[in-house]
Amino acid sequence: MGDHQSAGHSDPPIIQIRNLRKTFHHGRIVALDDISLDIPKGQVCVIIGPSGSGKSTMLRCINYLEVPDSGTIIVDGITLSEAKDINRARMEIGMVFQQFNLFPHLSVLDNITLAQRVVRKRSRQEAEDIAMDLLRKVGIPEKARAYPGQLSGGQQQRVAIARALAMQPKIMLFDEPTSALDPEMIKEVLDVMLQLAQDGMTMVVVSHEMGFARNAAHRILFMDDARIIEDSTPEELFNSPKEPRTREFLSKILH
Amino acid sequence: MKQKVVEEETVFADAITPLRLNSRVVVWRDRRLLAILAGAALVVFSFALPMFTWRITAAQMTYSGGTQRSARFPLLIAGQHYAQKAPLAKKTLTDLQVTVAPVKEHRTSGYGWLAAILAERGALRQHASFVICLLMPLIAACLGAAFVGRLLRDGWSWPESWIPWLIRLAVLGVGGILLAWMHQFDFSDWLLILGGKALWPRVGFWGALAGALALLIGSWGLRRETQRAVSNWWVLVFAVALAVWLLTRVRPYPYWEIWTFIADGILVTLRIVTTSFGFILLVSLLGGLGRIAHSKFIYGIASLYVELIRGIPLLVQLLFIWFALPQVFDVIGAALQGISPALQGWGQWFIDLRLSPFTAAVLGLTICYGAYGSEIFRAGISSIHRGQMEAARSLGMTYFQAMRYIILPQAIRVILPPIGNEFVALLKDSSLVSVLAVSDLTRRGREYMARTFLSFDTWIMVALCYLVLTLFSSRAVEFIESKSKFER
Repeated sequence: MGDHQSAGHSDPPIIQIRNLRKTFHHGRIVALDDISLDIPKGQVCVIIGPSGSGKSTMLRCINYLEVPDSGTIIVDGITLSEAKDINRARMEIGMVFQQFNLFPHLSVLDNITLAQRVVRKRSRQEAEDIAMDLLRKVGIPEKARAYPGQLSGGQQQRVAIARALAMQPKIMLFDEPTSALDPEMIKEVLDVMLQLAQDGMTMVVVSHEMGFARNAAHRILFMDDARIIEDSTPEELFNSPKEPRTREFLSKILH
Repeated sequence: MKQKVVEEETVFADAITPLRLNSRVVVWRDRRLLAILAGAALVVFSFALPMFTWRITAAQMTYSGGTQRSARFPLLIAGQHYAQKAPLAKKTLTDLQVTVAPVKEHRTSGYGWLAAILAERGALRQHASFVICLLMPLIAACLGAAFVGRLLRDGWSWPESWIPWLIRLAVLGVGGILLAWMHQFDFSDWLLILGGKALWPRVGFWGALAGALALLIGSWGLRRETQRAVSNWWVLVFAVALAVWLLTRVRPYPYWEIWTFIADGILVTLRIVTTSFGFILLVSLLGGLGRIAHSKFIYGIASLYVELIRGIPLLVQLLFIWFALPQVFDVIGAALQGISPALQGWGQWFIDLRLSPFTAAVLGLTICYGAYGSEIFRAGISSIHRGQMEAARSLGMTYFQAMRYIILPQAIRVILPPIGNEFVALLKDSSLVSVLAVSDLTRRGREYMARTFLSFDTWIMVALCYLVLTLFSSRAVEFIESKSKFER
């Protein structure tokens, strides 16, 4: 990873969200209702909540895959509004999807090097060196020449993480990265994420993996009905949740 | 049993030396081989025997001394001109009366015994027997292609099963083409040497029947392999091409003449099709991108184009471009000149603007097929999961970079089959441009027919030419498709 800075809270927050509002179907469905949020550099922030509560939508708004109706988003000092700014900001934001979204027509190596060459304008050699380093880091350097269709789900997701990291982003967004995986493959992906968190990466993770939230998260947000209901540390949230809605949700997922 | 095998091997030793492997199966095959070879020889001989009897005529000659002589002559053209092999000395030709009449007893035409099976006389006989005669080389071609295909698939080693393949090739391949080929030679001289008996068609007919039976029995066990081989569709391309070639060789008039007349039309058709296909791909890509654009304006323009053009027949579009567009240009030019004297030059340019037939044809085909292609591209691009676009965008790629590197390379595999079909359809619909004074294949066919009124032969030839082109291109599309598949 390019940056090994510790979670210094004196700097301005790397992600600033102000009064974010997002609706679907011409305003009939409210996905995000006046959300404001600051995430400082180096923080690992886990978002939990029932489905349809807007957590994925918020994550996708941070790199403008969803265009919000109103509100401002400032990422690493760049206010997202113009197409050019958005692309500049996206270079600093890595994203990992639930369905991996690897490019099936490219080999693993090409998956990781393509954006480096096209967007970062690196030479092929340089890009491949970076890609191989990352593949070693996620533990599958031998799959460099394989195609995504030949990999297991866990391996694909690790390639997807490597692909995002190859752009040397300052922020990583994870949209339910383990939800589409078999139980026995979840650990290999979580290990990579844990390593990343320890290296000091700023991470925003939408996940139902409470183990990961407990071990790695600095902060947990509980969202429901398009709002952030509770914002606290993992210890507080799991041991003494303030809101009744949070208690109800936790009692359902922590058997 | 063992004893018998050895016996038979010695009996057939001379004929089948290369086939003496070591099993009983082979001995059975040897006998079958002999039956097949004998049958084939019989078919070829009997086929040639009664051929071109109508080129022989009988003559009754009365000399001045009162002596009478009858003779048979090979005629070059029946009833008009004849040549005698040994002309009489000049002095005996003082008072010579010659009555020439065609040989009455012949019952076959110039197509060997095949004609005897069908009918006594008439043009139908000639055409039908000709078609039958073409079938044999076609079957031979199929088998030949299948044999080569099998060798390519199994490698160039010689498996034990090569024998039946070789048999079929030897008999049907060479024999079949020989039969068709022989039509251009005149066997009437041979018939004269053989005497009157040779004109008796039944000898040839029964001989051919026996030969064909031997062939059929001999190759019965091989039928399953033949079926599998024929299912290879490349064979069809080859077979139709061979049919065209044989038509021109076997009946130079009128088919060779038609071929030389329409051959440049094929090139024009191919030029129009390939040129417009290049433009069609471009228009389709732009139209397809327009149909998935977020901008309402671009989407509206693209949709209007697609809906409008798909609702109008291609022929009407072509006629509009060819006949109506010049008027439109005139109106625009006049309007420009009316607006301001400064636009005089531009106005004149519009008034002078005339499309060549070729340009008009390419323009018409591009506009029409571009609309259909746009829909194919739109469907292909939207068939790619939107997660692909999101992943690409999240890596910082622009919309066009994502299209270029991620979406289109995947979409092209979905698009290829239908766009390939469009190419074949375009090839056929390009015949419509013959109304624009473009000398394409169809128009050349019409011109030839207008000159000679040989409608049947002309259109058969044109149809076969189109068939070769379309079959070849659809096989080529299939091949490209099979090469561009990838694991998901």
